[in-house]
Amino acid sequence: MKIKSLMIAMLAICMGLGMVSCSDDKDEPNNENNYTIYQKAVTQTVKSQKKSDKAILLVAFGSTWEQAYNAFDATVAAYKQAFPGYDVYLSFSSAICINRAAAGENVDPRNFYAPPFWLNAFAEVEYMEIVVQSLQVIPGEEYTRVINYIKDFANNANGDISDKYLSMVELRLGVPLLQDAESDVNKVAEELNKLYKNQAAEGVVAFMGHGNPDSYDTYKANVRYTQLEEALQQYSTNYFVGTVDMMNNFKTNVYARMTAAGITSGKVYCHPLMSIDGDHGHNDMAGDDDDNWDGSKFTPNDEGEVEDTSWKMYFHHLGYTCDNSTMINKGLLELPTIRQVWMNHTKAAIAGEPLDYYHSKNPE
Amino acid sequence: MKKKTYIFLLLAFCVRFAAFSQTDSMQVNLTEVVVTGTGTPHLLQDAPVQTEVITGKMLRNYAGKSIEDILGGLTASFAFNQDDMGSQMQLNGLGNSYILILIDGKRIHGDVGGQNELSLIDPQNIEKIEIVKGASSALYGSDAIAGVVNIITKKHRDEGVLVENTTRVGSYGDVRQHNGLSLRYGKVSSYTNFQLQHSDGWQNTAVEHTLPNEDPITDSRNKTVNRYTNWQVSERITYQPSRDWELYADGSTYWKRIYRVSGRHPHYDVKTWDMEYHNGSASVGGKWQRSKTDFISLDVDWNRHAYYYYYTATTLVEDYEKSAGTPYYPYYPYLPDQKELQSDQQRTMATLKSVFTLPYENRLSAGAEYRYDWLKAPTRVKGGKASDWTAAVYVQDEFNLIPDVNITAGLRFNQNEQFGAKFTPKVSAMWKPGNIWRLRATWSQGFKTPAIRELFYRYVRQMSGTYLYLGNPDLKPQSSNYFAIGGEYGHNGLNITVTGYYNKVKDMIALVTIPNYQAPDEYIAQYDPVKTRQYQNIEDAKTVGVDVNVRYNWREFAFGMGYSYLDTDAHQYDTNHDKMRQVTIDGTAHHKGNFFATWSHRFTPDYQLGIGLYGRMSSTRYYQDDGNGKGYQIWRISTSHTFGHSTAMSYHIEAGVDNIFNYCDRTPHGLHLGTTTPGTTVYASFTIRFNHGKRLNNKYNINTKKQNDDED
Repeated sequence: MKIKSLMIAMLAICMGLGMVSCSDDKDEPNNENNYTIYQKAVTQTVKSQKKSDKAILLVAFGSTWEQAYNAFDATVAAYKQAFPGYDVYLSFSSAICINRAAAGENVDPRNFYAPPFWLNAFAEVEYMEIVVQSLQVIPGEEYTRVINYIKDFANNANGDISDKYLSMVELRLGVPLLQDAESDVNKVAEELNKLYKNQAAEGVVAFMGHGNPDSYDTYKANVRYTQLEEALQQYSTNYFVGTVDMMNNFKTNVYARMTAAGITSGKVYCHPLMSIDGDHGHNDMAGDDDDNWDGSKFTPNDEGEVEDTSWKMYFHHLGYTCDNSTMINKGLLELPTIRQVWMNHTKAAIAGEPLDYYHSKNPE
Repeated sequence: MKKKTYIFLLLAFCVRFAAFSQTDSMQVNLTEVVVTGTGTPHLLQDAPVQTEVITGKMLRNYAGKSIEDILGGLTASFAFNQDDMGSQMQLNGLGNSYILILIDGKRIHGDVGGQNELSLIDPQNIEKIEIVKGASSALYGSDAIAGVVNIITKKHRDEGVLVENTTRVGSYGDVRQHNGLSLRYGKVSSYTNFQLQHSDGWQNTAVEHTLPNEDPITDSRNKTVNRYTNWQVSERITYQPSRDWELYADGSTYWKRIYRVSGRHPHYDVKTWDMEYHNGSASVGGKWQRSKTDFISLDVDWNRHAYYYYYTATTLVEDYEKSAGTPYYPYYPYLPDQKELQSDQQRTMATLKSVFTLPYENRLSAGAEYRYDWLKAPTRVKGGKASDWTAAVYVQDEFNLIPDVNITAGLRFNQNEQFGAKFTPKVSAMWKPGNIWRLRATWSQGFKTPAIRELFYRYVRQMSGTYLYLGNPDLKPQSSNYFAIGGEYGHNGLNITVTGYYNKVKDMIALVTIPNYQAPDEYIAQYDPVKTRQYQNIEDAKTVGVDVNVRYNWREFAFGMGYSYLDTDAHQYDTNHDKMRQVTIDGTAHHKGNFFATWSHRFTPDYQLGIGLYGRMSSTRYYQDDGNGKGYQIWRISTSHTFGHSTAMSYHIEAGVDNIFNYCDRTPHGLHLGTTTPGTTVYASFTIRFNHGKRLNNKYNINTKKQNDDED
């Protein structure tokens, strides 16, 4: 009898625990519901801001740096002024950057929704012209993501946009800063030289772009950095353009080009060649190193880059005058004349032919 | 001869109990019985494998709030780091992945990133803690590389009803609750335990480690230790059909949340989720005590540990695919108060253990184990689910090779679904020339079975490019060779142990960048261009050190100190630079120590006072990145007060001040701290115990008899 009651108790415990463990699955949200709720919030934002039937969507990777937010805000303001007939929106493609910008305590949330949500909301409120402007510097890997978002939209990847609307809406794409190997590169070189010719007269001005690793070199866009350096060197041989990720164009390669040109001492100014001055600008370019320099040689990795050190500390230890006073911590969107090149691309997109992405993914 | 041993054992118990009743202040009693080193009971002084014990008395005097507090304060070998995810534990330089934690001989279940859920241990329900350093995989299997920590819980074996409550409160909203209800009528007994642990957490600094070209941040909300709450209910029913038999069923359920506050600096202190953990267990088993030393036991255990993100703000995740066959979303939103399962680890084990006394003073332990692990990690493993099994048999013999030289030799054979067969040996020797000196030496191997995650990981992360993380079904177990030699002196209340060790771990598993052609084509076709990293047996580590322990008991005083010297040399894979580098293991210090002095006195039959002074200290703790942790020393005064001498009701108060010199490391957030203490804290705990029934003279089990009588 006692054994029986014991067995019943054991069974009860096991079943009880089993039930505890099963019930957790209820916490998993309903997919459709979440997506719909979130999309509704984006649509509501768009509804409340919609003033015309034409929209410009600026797409950046995103950032968590406050200085970058100011640059984005100023860019949106400049666009609103330059494109009075258009409603202007800003989108991040990085989920982490979107999440961090939208949350936070005692701050006004910044809703930099991801491109697909904005585009779906635009469809919901029936914008008849949508201009997507890439805020990328080169037409590389991130830019391909922007194109894919537009294609997904044009092809109704979610299946919730009316076909009639899709056949009517005009989609336009504003290209990245250095899209054209000649006109864009030369224009940017010209404007950068106007801004930094005094520094170039004093010493080296080294721009630090992002670049794509070799296996990501979509559209072979990395070459734009080399082309920009060539264009800048027309103005002064003190200009150099290196990157964080592009093979054979790391800071070590910049240093090699500098010494080959006979520049072995003097000032080195560093400037991010990115739309905003964020993590890379603050850390990879202007950061202090964790390790104290012990006078030993830098040890490059397999690709020839010295990754343990920032541009500032690298050139500093190589004997150049390179310190906080020679760090120009400004993103390209903070330079109005460079920002204007992006805006010119938007104007060109509006003036040109709309995209023909409708049914482009699965042609019937 | 066998009888002689028994007589000696019994005599030793009698002497020990007599001594105990005379001088209640004895902190460390060399006649303490330990089981962890060999799986068989031995007097501490005669344990063939060096064992460090934190006794019930030490625990009560110290009044620790958690297992981290206890191990960090009462030994010199443990170190803890606190990060966003909770505590990270180290034993003589090696992390929690390499430390086997047992509760009553059963391995704790569930980890996040290799860190066990230490709050599963109710600090108020610990009878004592046994620590065996170094590899013990021959006896215990996987994970016993740096050492084994065996938490032995209190056993209530009195007939009738026992109800107890301990409430401990302290600075920073610290609340600990322990409630026990023990019922024992005839052959059936039940024990129900509820524990709750809560802290509001604290912030040592509001300054973030910012860059020189950046505006300083002095209003960060990041805490040094996050707010957390956890609770657990457990139940154990025991049935003793006869003197020799015991059957039991037990189960528990556990919940924990770590709360994170959000500030206003997206780059530094904005968070959109908390961490939540669910843990459950169910076991049945029985033990046949064939004689005072011989037994056969069988345990079947099921455990579960689930880890969730608990979203506190709307959070987009990229590349969302709940499970195979469900819709794919490039971005998928989670809404506040929703949970997303990160991993659900379930384990089912069957363990058969036996001890036989054989002729010529051989004591043979033999056992078999089957373990089945199952992991559900929707976004982290291929297909969302994976499993792995291990079967093992082991045998261990304890014998006297020649008079005064005791040998313990063990061998384990493991058969794992993935890595196949593995043998793990251990040999320990103790030379006992008289009653004062002991010399011990050990060579043992340890191993750690690759985690399911490491075998079957498939995780795509898109952040400045696409990264594909892959498991590796061809992983070998991580394995170690441990050598130790130690001496012990015990005479006239003074006990000194010195142990030198060398621990060499190889085939340690890390994520390594691999060429894409080595990755499965299907993934490259899907995700290219992509950077691929895969788990490989690539790292190694050597730790070498000396541990010294001194204990001295004199009348109502007890003194103790521990010192641990450690040197580490590891080759680790640097994922930032895709190359191996030689490093000192993060978080280790060359010198660590602890000290205690206690005095206790019974002023009247109704009142006993205990006072203790405790110190713990460490030299600089080394880290590869983000600065070293500062050396520190922290001192604590603790008092304990026992009221009344009624057997039915007893009251106990513990109160004290920790960190009396108000040491606080205010290094900016983002850099390493030597210790996370918030400065001076105070605490008080009150225990009330009601006991209605008669004390049983338990004849069944030599282990539990010892534990039973050691309780006050």
